[in-house]
Amino acid sequence: MKLFEYQAKEAFAAEGIPIPRGLLCDTADAVASAAAGLGFPCVVKSQVLRGGRGKAGLIRLVRSEAEARSYAAQLLAGPHEVKKILVEVAVDIDREIYLSITVDPEAATALILACADGGVEIEELARTTPEKIIREKVDIDAGLLPYQARNLGYTLGFDAEGTKRFVPILEALWRVFRKHDAELAEINPLFVTKAREDKPARIIAGDGKLSIDDNSQFRQPGTEPDRSHFDSDVAFEAAKEGIPYLQFDGDISLMCAGAGLTTVVYDLVNYEGGSIANYLEFGGPNYKKAVRAMELCLKNEPKVILIVTFGTIARADIMADGIAEAILKLKPRCPIVACIRGTGEEKAVETLKAAGLDPLFDTEEAVRRAVALAKGSQGGKA
Amino acid sequence: MSIFIDRTTQVVIQGITGAEGSFWTRHMKDLGTTVVAGVTPGKEGQSVEGVPVYHTVRRAAADHAIDGAMLFVPPRFTKDAVYEALDAGITKIVTIADGIPLHEAIQIRKAALSCGARVVGGNTSGVISPGLAMMGMFPFWIDRVYKPGRIGVMTRSGSLTNEVTAMIVRGGFGVSTLIGVGGDPVPGTRFAEMLPDFEADSGTDAVVIIGELGGTMEEEVAEAMEAGRFTKPLVAFMGGRTAPTGKRMGHAGAIVSGGKGSVTDKIAAFEKAGALVADRPRLVGDLLQQLLSTGRTTTASK
Repeated sequence: MKLFEYQAKEAFAAEGIPIPRGLLCDTADAVASAAAGLGFPCVVKSQVLRGGRGKAGLIRLVRSEAEARSYAAQLLAGPHEVKKILVEVAVDIDREIYLSITVDPEAATALILACADGGVEIEELARTTPEKIIREKVDIDAGLLPYQARNLGYTLGFDAEGTKRFVPILEALWRVFRKHDAELAEINPLFVTKAREDKPARIIAGDGKLSIDDNSQFRQPGTEPDRSHFDSDVAFEAAKEGIPYLQFDGDISLMCAGAGLTTVVYDLVNYEGGSIANYLEFGGPNYKKAVRAMELCLKNEPKVILIVTFGTIARADIMADGIAEAILKLKPRCPIVACIRGTGEEKAVETLKAAGLDPLFDTEEAVRRAVALAKGSQGGKA
Repeated sequence: MSIFIDRTTQVVIQGITGAEGSFWTRHMKDLGTTVVAGVTPGKEGQSVEGVPVYHTVRRAAADHAIDGAMLFVPPRFTKDAVYEALDAGITKIVTIADGIPLHEAIQIRKAALSCGARVVGGNTSGVISPGLAMMGMFPFWIDRVYKPGRIGVMTRSGSLTNEVTAMIVRGGFGVSTLIGVGGDPVPGTRFAEMLPDFEADSGTDAVVIIGELGGTMEEEVAEAMEAGRFTKPLVAFMGGRTAPTGKRMGHAGAIVSGGKGSVTDKIAAFEKAGALVADRPRLVGDLLQQLLSTGRTTTASK
């Protein structure tokens, strides 16, 4: 799960990574007075999860209280669902560095990525100047060793004094990565300020990305996703009940079990010229939640509900019982195509027939029927 | 013949007293698996499906010559259970857990490699040699889905496995050994690491890979074929050709990022290496017939 910039920076600061002075606000007036307190120019940053905020006009350097207020009002009323705004002092930058720690799944290791030319997204760096990206594998049991941090510091172009300042920041980022079970802990840009006569250059996290491994969320308090993490209200509702759900904009609602099978059904619907309204994961621990699952699917007002499963633990007979109950309770007006197989399938077939369905055994046949029904239908509401 | 498991493999079930543990212990025994012991801390002295239960793997291993461990242990305790099995010298470990923390998955793989052991999973249905034995959860009693035969199978997906094995049976074939490497981004075992076993297995004529978008496991198989390290006929079933980029289609391991791991790239790599690629389940059986009836081999196709 991705965290907002302000949450990432809180995590960074807690481990000792310097961040710009700033205030989190949720009204235009609060932004104006925060800006006035911090002094001008200062930076007004929308807290949204999408990347490329600068280009999208979601970050701006403001020079007056009035500008801060009007820009904040515009953000809060805009189409990007901005709920929180971070106001920060503008930093006097000498250069920008890219720094992150992530997991390299192929090599099964933690990996530091760094680049002396920061401020650009890593995907962009990988495309344009891959030779400039520095990679350092870190043994997850041994942890980041000081020599690795020193090597990175010198390779990034810091002198002895600069490396001395850089090493603790990288060590702190490693602690953030481990403590928060991160998939990605990224500082981009990492600012290096201009040195002045009276004080040496400082290193400050200009931005922060922290993405928590979903499988570790149980031990990461305070990281429950909110509405902004999802594409639709239905997706958010499903997530609150632990049901994986993806929102699309077609007219066939998918209740499938298993990621692999779902991906294939998604392909087959596309091959047949149909379109998907949503995918709802009906397998795993959700196989007993047919009524709720169908209720969520019906919110999309689909032309057809297509159910495809081939369960082992998720028993076909129990899924079929649930579907029969859902039909009785919800009285869906759209047709339902069911292809429910696996453990207990003999009994499932009888149940589905009794519920007025024509159970199928072949995935491709089920997809063809669903697509044909969707094309022939005038559309139906639940 | 089979790889990884046969009737001589002596298996301990970790988490045997749970609902899933006991249910699948019965089915593993029904198929012919040699289940010698179970482990649930605090429950030594009980017996499940006729299998004696011990407090710890070490205590079970004192009484039995165990070489396989089947884990029915929740994801958050899986690292502990894997290390416990490794510590007892067990070299074949299968974990079905769906939701192993990412950092721990890295530690598990590293620990297994350093012991010379193999961990299959997590997020898998496990391993089966139909007609012989299994460490896992497969509805082998549905005979239009599972039959003994001479096709090796490796898969990242549980649900899709049944779908594809049904098509193998429909094509007139059966399965020698099926290895579910699982859907996690950092699996204990990667496809390419099992290829030498299938290559050496006299009971396997061809291999079916059930791949997915994301990662590079499929490309590694294609590399092994191109390098001549794997020479048997291979059919790759690749789902996810139309999957939208950036959306997570279920498996965490199945996300397309930065253009790497796209299905198009994987299909191209397979075809270049001489594998046949199916984009619909039904084609798997057809392609196997094509490969095995004409005697075409991957080397001959180059």
